[in-house]
Amino acid sequence: MPDANKDQSPKEQPKDGDSSLSPAELKKRAKAEKQARRAAEKEQRGAGGAGGAEASSSATPQANGGPREVKQGQGQKQHQKGGQPPQQQQQQQQQQQPYHRRSGSQGAQQMPVREKPGKAVAGAGKQGKKEGSKQVELFSHLYTHPRRTTFEGVSKDVHPSVLAFGFKMASYEICGSSARCVAMLLAFKDAIQAYTTPTGTSLARHMTSHHLSPQIEFLKTCRAISESMGNAIRWLKKLIVEIDPNTAEQEAKDYLCEHIGRFIQERIMITDTAIAESAAQQIKPGSVVLTFAKSSIVEKTILEAHEAGTPFRVMVVDSRPLFEGKRLATSLMRVGLEVEYVPFSGLAHAVKDATVVLLGAHAMLSNGRLQSRIGTASVALQAHRAAIPVIVCCESVKFSEKVALDSIVLNEVAPSEELLTPSSLATAHAKKEGEDDEGDKASKNAKTLADWRDISNLQILNLMYDVTPAEYISMIVCEYGSLPPSSVPVVHRLANEGGIAA
Amino acid sequence: MTSDNFDVVATYQQLLIEDPELTMPVAAIESLILALGATPASTMSETLHLVQTCTAELKKSIRNPISLSAGTDLFQQYLISNLQQRPSEGDFDVIRKHLVENGRLFVERAKAARETIAGFGRHFIRDGNVVLTNGGSRVVGALLRSAAESSKSSKTPGGSIRFKVIYVVSSDDSNYTSSEAAENIRALRERDVPVAVIQPSAVAYCMDQVTQVFVGAEGVVENGGVVNRMGTYQMAMIARATRKPFYVVSESHKFVRLYPLGQKDLGIEQDVLIFETASGPEVEDGKSESGIDEGIVADVDEVKERERRGDMALARLSREEAIDYTPPDLISGIITESGVLLPSAVSEELIKIWF
Repeated sequence: MPDANKDQSPKEQPKDGDSSLSPAELKKRAKAEKQARRAAEKEQRGAGGAGGAEASSSATPQANGGPREVKQGQGQKQHQKGGQPPQQQQQQQQQQQPYHRRSGSQGAQQMPVREKPGKAVAGAGKQGKKEGSKQVELFSHLYTHPRRTTFEGVSKDVHPSVLAFGFKMASYEICGSSARCVAMLLAFKDAIQAYTTPTGTSLARHMTSHHLSPQIEFLKTCRAISESMGNAIRWLKKLIVEIDPNTAEQEAKDYLCEHIGRFIQERIMITDTAIAESAAQQIKPGSVVLTFAKSSIVEKTILEAHEAGTPFRVMVVDSRPLFEGKRLATSLMRVGLEVEYVPFSGLAHAVKDATVVLLGAHAMLSNGRLQSRIGTASVALQAHRAAIPVIVCCESVKFSEKVALDSIVLNEVAPSEELLTPSSLATAHAKKEGEDDEGDKASKNAKTLADWRDISNLQILNLMYDVTPAEYISMIVCEYGSLPPSSVPVVHRLANEGGIAA
Repeated sequence: MTSDNFDVVATYQQLLIEDPELTMPVAAIESLILALGATPASTMSETLHLVQTCTAELKKSIRNPISLSAGTDLFQQYLISNLQQRPSEGDFDVIRKHLVENGRLFVERAKAARETIAGFGRHFIRDGNVVLTNGGSRVVGALLRSAAESSKSSKTPGGSIRFKVIYVVSSDDSNYTSSEAAENIRALRERDVPVAVIQPSAVAYCMDQVTQVFVGAEGVVENGGVVNRMGTYQMAMIARATRKPFYVVSESHKFVRLYPLGQKDLGIEQDVLIFETASGPEVEDGKSESGIDEGIVADVDEVKERERRGDMALARLSREEAIDYTPPDLISGIITESGVLLPSAVSEELIKIWF
């Protein structure tokens, strides 16, 4: 709604001066008026929510500049906030200032020093803008509520196993698209067993909407659902719906659990083995395998080739903030492989030595593009430039019907704090402790990255994934064999919509 | 072994000699059908086993099994899906008869494909075009002939499309190839199509006069690339560099489940690269035997010596039979009997067959 208002306002402004208005224009104006009123109402109600407040902050100032009638229609709230002259607004802030000490991130942002005089007109949206300003606007659609770390507000229907999985997922204890999918299905197994059909309905009709949905909703608040999880959920829902309503409850539940077990076996476990075997063929004697971050299936492939006795070495390129590659490098090192651990900054150099690049996937998109851990696209680009084959190992359960041209539309924003180095966090902590110490005021005022919330012109963006163009991918190894990226939609239809496993 | 009393390899070779129009994959399928007809297999698994052993024998017998394996794999897959569809174990003989008959039908269709392709392909050739092609591909020959004969009006006896052809023929091609190329060239010249013959080294020189390139294929691989006579890759590269369309003409039974990422992934050893010093070929300590592109031996005696050394040397392709792999990004289109495909469609076609 506020967006629509935004569009409307500029058109409205020139007409404001016209004394004679056509019926169509009057109608238009009435419409704008209504929208503005609604925006104001929305602001009053939902000032708390970060997303909503952001939007309304941009809407209100424009409503101000709009026709007079709109202004009047806005009601009390509007007068109180947006109707104030700029100076008054600033004065009020200065008065507030002493009460807001630096300890709170919100207070600090209100410092009038940082305020440009012209900007004060937008003061109406202050409250909202403050919370929104730490969100990079281009990616604002990706910011959901912060990842859940507490039980607060959790639906009582959520099964303990699902709860445990959710928190593990939020803390990266369970990480990786396949691992998350397997863990989710296992948790769902428990949840399904704990389900009892209420009288007067059937399992097939009731379970998905009343029992499974709360679990899924809860998981969504922990971390965004991966493509593999989405495919598995879709499969499970279809399976539930297709159960004969006359089936005895326990029988139906056992049936579901059995099929979930088979799904895990067929679509992930055996598939992984098959892919590893097939992809290991690409590791030739004397190869130098370059990989990025950590993928369980790439690890399996490399171990498979090593067990087959192929002499080769591995380069693990790794990057902040998760440093997943460390675990891969360690496990490869333990089996006696020659491993080189390269920071992301050394990528261009590492590519010179490599003969093949193996990558894991978060999802394979239908236009043949690869969505994977952020940084993958750079690795693939470098390899493409050096004419090194880029091989993606990916189970068909991660194939998606979605299409992305960039990393903006489909992505996941992780907490910005993860990007801060431990050392900068430590100094921030130390500073907080010594806040009362008046001795080194200078060092206290010098802001570091850890104070990013207090620095109004600094935003930190911590994206999880990026999208690698299909041109950079030489081959995708899945359980259906090796494919060019262009065949992703065919296999997706075959595997995720044809229902081979089910 | 059930195939003891039936020599699949001899049958295969006999078929190829008898019918020069037959392609390797079709000959392979036909010999498998004959093997199936000649041996009394009575169960499904026995039949499959028979086909598998025959396939293995065939693959072992020739040095470049890529083209052949396209046919045998296709037949095997056809067999499996057919057997799965008919679970009636009782009258296995009926099933077998059905299989053999259907197999024959397949061979007939495969032979007819060439004409269909020529029908599709000749629309690519227009007045004033200059077509570049290489080798002795029969399907390209059929296409060019068809274009030469086709006429806009039925009144004129000959073809009305005026086009020229540049044939790339290597001087050291074996008689086998050059005779095929010569046959094609003769046929075109008879139809009043001017043909020029050039050396592979002159391809770049001629390319600015060329309007499009047609090549045949030994095999079309999964990513849409092609395996073909040595020199095709460089023709494709020059065509790309001068932005000329590069078309592959191939029957769809040449689609093979192979996914090479580079020249070394073909699984074939060929005598192309031989590093030599004044004291003879360089010997890398033990590695050279397993190295793939060891090279050409200048001395004929040495080639024979190599062949005497055993299977290893036998498995290598000589310079005349050498092949290379052209990646899909250099290919503008693949003309098959089921239409003109983009390279990316090959994988889809293969998935359709296999799953």
